[in-house]
Amino acid sequence: MTAADEEFARESARMSAAFVAQLPRQVQALSDDLVAWLSLPREAALLERLSHKVHQLKGAGSTFGCSGISDSARVLEQRLATLRSDATGGSASAMDEVEAAMEALRGEANRIYGESAQRGHRGTQT
Amino acid sequence: MSGPTLSRILYVEDDADIREVVTMSLQMLGKFQVAGCDSCAAALDLVDEFNPELLLLDVMMPDVDGPATLRVLRERVSAESAPAIFITAKVEAGDMQRYKKMGVLDVIVKPFDTMGLPGQIEQIWQRYRRSLNDSGG
Repeated sequence: MTAADEEFARESARMSAAFVAQLPRQVQALSDDLVAWLSLPREAALLERLSHKVHQLKGAGSTFGCSGISDSARVLEQRLATLRSDATGGSASAMDEVEAAMEALRGEANRIYGESAQRGHRGTQT
Repeated sequence: MSGPTLSRILYVEDDADIREVVTMSLQMLGKFQVAGCDSCAAALDLVDEFNPELLLLDVMMPDVDGPATLRVLRERVSAESAPAIFITAKVEAGDMQRYKKMGVLDVIVKPFDTMGLPGQIEQIWQRYRRSLNDSGG
């Protein structure tokens, strides 16, 4: 491994840790966006913005080695795409599926965050 | 030798985290000069001064997506002949054909290995240079 490889690996690990540290907040923001859209279901732009943020999270998850986040975000993105293609604003079951996918994403974010926090805690113990 | 080495890459990606790690990889490991932009508008602000040799564009961006960004950049003299590589999570057969018609050199599919990315881009670049040499360009 060259010095540049090592420096990149260090910086990459720092960025991954920063990504994980803000995951619960990021997923909560997505959840808030979903609630905002549910109260204004005719606002297609809200749903589009939410879908794009979920798409970004999917990409960032895989880039930072969090495949579970990426997979959960992919499912949510697919469920949102179903809603977007539904001209009636989405059936009740489609809405339920979106909410279930959001909960699964939240669960995965909390799990990864918790594991990371535990590793950090263990790392600080002497 | 296949020709000049690649130096300047104009990179457009709206996600700040991904933009940062990819820029870091291309600069630290690939030793490329990288101008990272978060949108088509930002790329337009930089393109003339930066004079890119290669355009690296995320496909799915809000407002102006990768293909539209490429069309707009190609209207600038500084980027009219710069080859482009798209980065995307979704590639279907129809997409590839459409991208090739736009003159896109290749598509890098997400997720990609950030450590291997500079080598991947270098390979695409060398293939491009060889094709220019073969055609007498």
